[in-house]
Amino acid sequence: MIVPLAHILILAAVIFSLGLVCVLVWRSNVIMLLIGIEIMLNAAMLVFVGGSARWGAPDGQVFALMIMAMTSAEVSLALALVVYLHRRRRTVDVDAFRELRDP
Amino acid sequence: MRLLLELILFLPLCGAVLLALAGGRLPRRVVEAVACGTVWGSFAATLGAATLFASPAKVEIVNWLTDFEFAAPVTLYLDPLSLVIALMVTFVCGLIHLHAVAYMAGDPGYVRFFALLNLFVAAMLLLVLAENLPLLYMGWEGVGFCSYGLIGFWYREEKNATAARKAFIVTRIGDVALGIAIVWLYELFSTTSLTGINETVFLMPLMVITPIGILLLVGAMGKSAQLPLMVWLPDAMAGPTPVSALIHAATMVTAGVYLLIRLFPLVSVSPTVMAAIAVTGGASAFYGASCAVAQRDLKRVLAYSTISQIGFMMLGVGAGALAAATFHLIVHAFFKALLFLGAGCIITALHHEQDIYRMGGISRSLPAVSRLFLAGALCLAGFPLTGGFFSKDAILAAVWGRGGMLYLLLFLLGLATAFLTAYYTFRMVRLVCGGEGPAPQPLTPLMTGPLVPLAILGLGGGLLNIPHYLGEGLLGRVLASGGVRVEHAATATELALQAVAALTAVGGISLACHRYADSRRPLRIAEGAQPAGGLTAFLLHGWYADRLYARIFVEPFTGTARFLWQRVDAGLIDGGVDRLAELLGRCGSWLGRWSSGRVSTYLIYLAVGAVLLLGWLAGSAAGRGGW
Repeated sequence: MIVPLAHILILAAVIFSLGLVCVLVWRSNVIMLLIGIEIMLNAAMLVFVGGSARWGAPDGQVFALMIMAMTSAEVSLALALVVYLHRRRRTVDVDAFRELRDP
Repeated sequence: MRLLLELILFLPLCGAVLLALAGGRLPRRVVEAVACGTVWGSFAATLGAATLFASPAKVEIVNWLTDFEFAAPVTLYLDPLSLVIALMVTFVCGLIHLHAVAYMAGDPGYVRFFALLNLFVAAMLLLVLAENLPLLYMGWEGVGFCSYGLIGFWYREEKNATAARKAFIVTRIGDVALGIAIVWLYELFSTTSLTGINETVFLMPLMVITPIGILLLVGAMGKSAQLPLMVWLPDAMAGPTPVSALIHAATMVTAGVYLLIRLFPLVSVSPTVMAAIAVTGGASAFYGASCAVAQRDLKRVLAYSTISQIGFMMLGVGAGALAAATFHLIVHAFFKALLFLGAGCIITALHHEQDIYRMGGISRSLPAVSRLFLAGALCLAGFPLTGGFFSKDAILAAVWGRGGMLYLLLFLLGLATAFLTAYYTFRMVRLVCGGEGPAPQPLTPLMTGPLVPLAILGLGGGLLNIPHYLGEGLLGRVLASGGVRVEHAATATELALQAVAALTAVGGISLACHRYADSRRPLRIAEGAQPAGGLTAFLLHGWYADRLYARIFVEPFTGTARFLWQRVDAGLIDGGVDRLAELLGRCGSWLGRWSSGRVSTYLIYLAVGAVLLLGWLAGSAAGRGGW
């Protein structure tokens, strides 16, 4: 174990924060929002893998693979939605879609 | 005998059920024929039972209430007392039904009227013939219900509906006392049979009998309109006049007296109860007579005189003179029904005018009716040799014969009442019959016909129970065969008392005739036109009893009800709930502003929430001391 767990956690936290900031501030584009979410998920995956290496247990790696599969499915679905939304509204601004709000 | 008894009871009941269910689809003549036919059939059955009567008969018709040891079958009991009363009830009811056919000729609600009238007869006969107390109570409540329905017969007028409710509620007070007495009697005697109770009453201690007797007296007070509970009867005159004649003069109001006579072996054990009954009766008699002196409404005069005459009956029961009380009950039924039917004829003839000061001239314009009305008035006033004279005198003689300070005072009160009775009766007769009055409309023979047998029975009622120095009274003999005590004063005493009573009655009549003679008539009418003041107003409003009860009972009740309604219910409970709902609504609308619908805002909430959660987790982990 060359890299200590603390370093991995710090790196994961930095990546997570970057993803979070991306999600929070980049409102004009749904795709950027999805990318932010991907980055946060990657940070979570990194923590899983780091933990798995630290304690020598394979479950973390299994979870990382699970997350990869899930994110690929999620992204394909989400991008399809984005294409559909863009076709309806000609925009990908997040705040343009607020029909579910109470009038 | 069984068949006859069943016929007596069930004929009017079947009539009532038939009229209530199918009366609307039958022609008017058929409805009237059914109503009268069932009652007269019942009378015929009673007559048949009277001819076959040999000894008291007990007939169990059907099992009604049974539970372990408790049993109250539908058992009818025919003894001389119930036989005599049933004869009177069916006969008077039959005549009044005939009169009612004419009286209600123009009324569209005749089906309801006759159905209730028949149901009333059935309930009254059940009350009279019942052998056990629950059955009697059923009849008792039945007549109360019919009375309520008939007082408020013209219910579209607020006044009539109020009078009906008042009668119902006031009599209910007495009924509660009677209900308590019945349960208590069952608890003591383990039976509800009237004969059973009367046979074993000597086993019971006096201190238990006294409260039960008082409860029975309260029950009788309610039904018979005696002193504390008398306020409903004058207002009950809001009903049609045949109803007043039937229910509120001749039959139902005497049910209280009948109950006390029925349970006399029980109540007579306690001298306290006897004195209470006598005092109630004497005071009510005087109260009714004094109020009747000042009344202006013809029917209210008769209503107050009913309170007064039933007071006499109570006084007779209280003095232990059962035969005299029964005698007065029966004679009173005849002449009071006669007076009420006469009043009904007069009121109809004068286009529904009820104020006696605006009447007059009946003796010239309607001589037949006026003669019959006069016959009733003579009986009520106790004019010598009429039925009312003998029955009233028998009661007064019994009170005199009882001895003691209390009964002497009651005797004097009774004499004063008799004087007032004679006075107000002839004040009424002079005002209605004398002088000049409006032209009447003609009356049908069906309307006046039923008055004739009543007048004959009222005037000749004395023959039913002639004083014992002339022979043995028929009624006394019949009642004595049924175990009712019949007592006689010495002949000289009785003659002297009759002379005193005769003088009193004649004195009252002549005073009234003097004051209300034709020559002084304009003066009296001018007096009557003035607003009543002082003593007259006091008597006119029935000693302000209504106002007193309103002050003591009704106003605190409505005040509390209004407080609970406006302050507690509307103010506290509704207001509290409203306030709470308003608060929650405001919270909701404040929170609702958070849901903007912008995904980015929600994401900020999510982030802030996650940070707070993490912070809390980290804080609690640090609190536990490191990782």
